[in-house]
Amino acid sequence: MKVAIIAANGGMFDAYKVFNIATAAAATDAEVGIFFTFEGLNLIHKEAHKNLPMPAGTEHFQEGFKKANFPPIEELVSMASEMGVKMIACQLTMDVMSLEKEEFVEGIDVGGAVTFLTFAKDADVTLTF
Amino acid sequence: MELTVNKVLDAKGLACPMPIVKTKKEMNTLEPGQVMEIQATDKGSTADIKAWAESTGQQYLGTVTEGETLKHYLRKASSEEEKTEIKHPDVISLDDLLKQIEGNEKVTVLDVREPAEYAFGHIPGAINIPLGELEQRFEELKNSEDVHIICRTGKRSDFAAQKLTEKGLKNIRNVIPGMKDWKGPIETTTK
Repeated sequence: MKVAIIAANGGMFDAYKVFNIATAAAATDAEVGIFFTFEGLNLIHKEAHKNLPMPAGTEHFQEGFKKANFPPIEELVSMASEMGVKMIACQLTMDVMSLEKEEFVEGIDVGGAVTFLTFAKDADVTLTF
Repeated sequence: MELTVNKVLDAKGLACPMPIVKTKKEMNTLEPGQVMEIQATDKGSTADIKAWAESTGQQYLGTVTEGETLKHYLRKASSEEEKTEIKHPDVISLDDLLKQIEGNEKVTVLDVREPAEYAFGHIPGAINIPLGELEQRFEELKNSEDVHIICRTGKRSDFAAQKLTEKGLKNIRNVIPGMKDWKGPIETTTK
């Protein structure tokens, strides 16, 4: 199985959606690639991904996350990386936002739309978050 | 209920997808044919473990609920067992075994699967001695005649049939293919 994911949003909920599916897929022996673009880049930004915002009006869910014992995003990211999930940061967005590769977590690739498309062209599952 | 397993994984208190991620990691440390018990409190884990086993080709045995804890049982796939080549010449089909049982003939059924496999469904009255323990325990069968040996696919029972014949037991029969296709009565001992 091959799973291609586009992460285009930078909130806490988005991070869980992306990394839960990605790690679950990797644990099921799938080849997984995630393309981080626009606000999605927050999810792998060294500083930003430690403190992602909750959507407005849902701050009270913070408690629920704690109760459910959800792993912190940092942990999910390193787990995904350990399990061989391919993470691609969008070059265009990085240019627009003046971000350097060093500002992101270890082990990511930087590429453009075609890099992702080449990976996704024969994927069994394609998801956008 | 306690079942003999090769490994117990404690995934209690963990949320999705952690029970699956941990299961995957631990499964890599098991030998083919070994059984793992996964303890979880995530209510979605039953459906997830089942689906995970299906897509990765592992054998899902079943789940037991104990209070808040779900105990899932998985057996690591063994490619050896899927081969159909068997050596013990005396075999009997599932249909013929079922006829004997229904006809109230006195048949000894020896189930050589792992205790967890046996617990989630076996032929009523079958004796359970896992293949790995047969060497030490074969004497338990010395007063039995016409022993019918069964496993999941017919492979482990083939080994067992050869071994018991070597030990001097007579009229040993391998039931083929095995429990995976058994349509007769089933008894479970998971409660």
